[in-house]
Amino acid sequence: MNRLSLSEHGPSVLVAALSAAFGVSVLQFVGVISQALTADRVTGNSGTVAIFLGIVALVFIVIAVYVGAIVTANTFSTIIAGRTRTIALLRLIGSSARTQRRAVAREGLAVGIAGTLIGALVGTGVTAATLAVGVAAGFIPGGVSFSLVSPVLILPMVAVVLTTWIASWVGSRRVLVVSPMEATGAAHEQSRAEASASKARTAVAIALFVVGTVVLVVAVIVGLVNPLAVLIGVVGGLLSFTGLVVGAHLVMPVALRFVGRLFGDSAPARLAAENAVRYPERSSRTTIGLVIGITLVTMFAVALQSYQNLLTAARDANPEYYEGVDEAFATTLVVFSILMGFSALIAAVGMVNNLSLSVLQRTRELGLLRALGFTGRQVRGMIIAESAQLTAASVLVGLVLGVFYGWAGAQSLFGSLNGSPGFVAPDLPLPFLAGVVVLAAALTLVASVGPSRRATRVTPVAALALD
Amino acid sequence: MWRTGRFPSVGAMENSAPQHGNPADLVARVDGLGKTYGAKDNQVAALLDVSLGIRRGEFTAIMGPSGSGKSTLMHIMAGLDSATTGRAWLGDTEITGLADDALTVLRRRRVGFVFQSFNLVPTLDIEGNILLPFELDGRRPSAEERAWIDQLVGSLGLGARLRHRPHELSGGQQQRVAIARALATRPDLVFADEPTGNLDSRTSREVLTLLQAAGREYGQSIAMVTHDPIAASFADRIVFLADGRIVRDLGKSTAEEISSLMLGMERAA
Repeated sequence: MNRLSLSEHGPSVLVAALSAAFGVSVLQFVGVISQALTADRVTGNSGTVAIFLGIVALVFIVIAVYVGAIVTANTFSTIIAGRTRTIALLRLIGSSARTQRRAVAREGLAVGIAGTLIGALVGTGVTAATLAVGVAAGFIPGGVSFSLVSPVLILPMVAVVLTTWIASWVGSRRVLVVSPMEATGAAHEQSRAEASASKARTAVAIALFVVGTVVLVVAVIVGLVNPLAVLIGVVGGLLSFTGLVVGAHLVMPVALRFVGRLFGDSAPARLAAENAVRYPERSSRTTIGLVIGITLVTMFAVALQSYQNLLTAARDANPEYYEGVDEAFATTLVVFSILMGFSALIAAVGMVNNLSLSVLQRTRELGLLRALGFTGRQVRGMIIAESAQLTAASVLVGLVLGVFYGWAGAQSLFGSLNGSPGFVAPDLPLPFLAGVVVLAAALTLVASVGPSRRATRVTPVAALALD
Repeated sequence: MWRTGRFPSVGAMENSAPQHGNPADLVARVDGLGKTYGAKDNQVAALLDVSLGIRRGEFTAIMGPSGSGKSTLMHIMAGLDSATTGRAWLGDTEITGLADDALTVLRRRRVGFVFQSFNLVPTLDIEGNILLPFELDGRRPSAEERAWIDQLVGSLGLGARLRHRPHELSGGQQQRVAIARALATRPDLVFADEPTGNLDSRTSREVLTLLQAAGREYGQSIAMVTHDPIAASFADRIVFLADGRIVRDLGKSTAEEISSLMLGMERAA
């Protein structure tokens, strides 16, 4: 059982590879841009631009690696839940819980190394290919010979290996509470210990959120007179958002229940709603990655849109100040959406993986439902509804948070702009919203294809014969 | 005490012809049923030419050692599995070769199940579990059905547990919920697969008495698969399977009689 199984760890390798590829590729692009700037002396203050780019890149990479770590921790804890019987058996014949957990962490380290190496190669490939296309198309000056390999690339790689390793350690916490007795008894519903979060954690989460929100409100008000208020806003935003992520177990089940109610009252829909919150801790972790991704993307879309609205209002007041500033917006939005969207992609991989693992662990129950009269179509409907609920709840929470943070950011930065009306209402660009909805629908379907096929293929007899 | 007049003699063990009776009195029957597993050159036969009728209103036990084919027989009769050869009926409906969806609806409306363990959906409360067969059918129980369910819940002592989740109940209580669910739709036939396999002997007796009462008081037909002679002694009729064939078909017997018969079969094997 200590051997790496690709079907179990494939998704974690993929997540590590995506994070590493992203980190390596973004740094390589930053390198290429600063090399191009250095070659082109006209730009002058290229040093400042390079440092600024470096900081932005760092922020994006940290976010992607962080989301990847949450996803991996969650995947590992789901895998452990499915292995309870095996672990209990090994405990029964004398293996200590700590040995067991260390074995899981070793798997995590191997997953991290494998994923990072694959990711670094793929990321470098993507950069090289983009560069070749860019030079051919004339976007990038062709005279300079760019070097893609640089010592700084080690940083994201090491970060991904370490976070994957730590994530596997955190995710394998449940190994410690598996009792050897669980190997002997009949298969029971997993203990709900997983569901209970400590009071201290809840208190920290609430404190962070409240303080962060207050700071953010202060930033918005100060922003009316001074653009530096955005720095206060960043602190407030980080605090309150960290509070939300730490307290995901308080927020997400509520959102999931709310969305679940929208799916109607049929037996498959109600069971799906119950399944989505069966392990509140697990579903919170499954969805929070996606929430982070959607929040970030939305935040930038709203901030840019609000900025544009402020500018428009300001320009109407004194037209001579603002000429030709519109053009950059569309490009900036697209680039930032792609960079931010990458975290959402990593989170989506985690969601797909978690849904399929949890369906796999529910085989027995699906067999019971089939025996009692669930048709194949009803089972499929139930799994699609569950997938839709997870996605819809994440998107909903992400949109609400993103709109708020984006608006607060724009307001604190540009509220004091010459000719600005003071406050503008938050504005969500419609094409952006449509894009998010379409992608969410696609994710729902993609996430449910594998699990629902597997679930309907199981015959009731085979499922019930499982022990 | 052997009421020999009703039993086939021990010498007739091989191929004792099952009593088919009048098909109108049979709630389920199978004819010439065979089931083999595995590829052509590596076939294992679970059932060989089994013909059996389950009589309406009777509590029938299907007994046999592990691997005798009793579970396979139950699965085919309940529409959970398909036979390799032969035919099966539930009431007047031939279920051989029915499509999966048709079989599913048939199970939902006309069959009840009590399994050894994992009977209940963990995410639903007790009432939700009992009402599940109705909800799967997309309907609410009628007033008459509601009254019947209330009566079941009351007599099974589950009234105070309706809002609880399965994991909050003891094994015996969970089996009672499964029985309530199985009886709720007044199915043609309730299949019980080792319903006491996970219970202590006192709780086992309670559950068996409940099944027996369901037969006697409500005329519910029940087919129970078991390898426990005590469990089988609660039944009105006991059908013995060994190596995929019916070898005995007895009326009501005591646990001692059933045990010694089983031991005799073991020795003969």
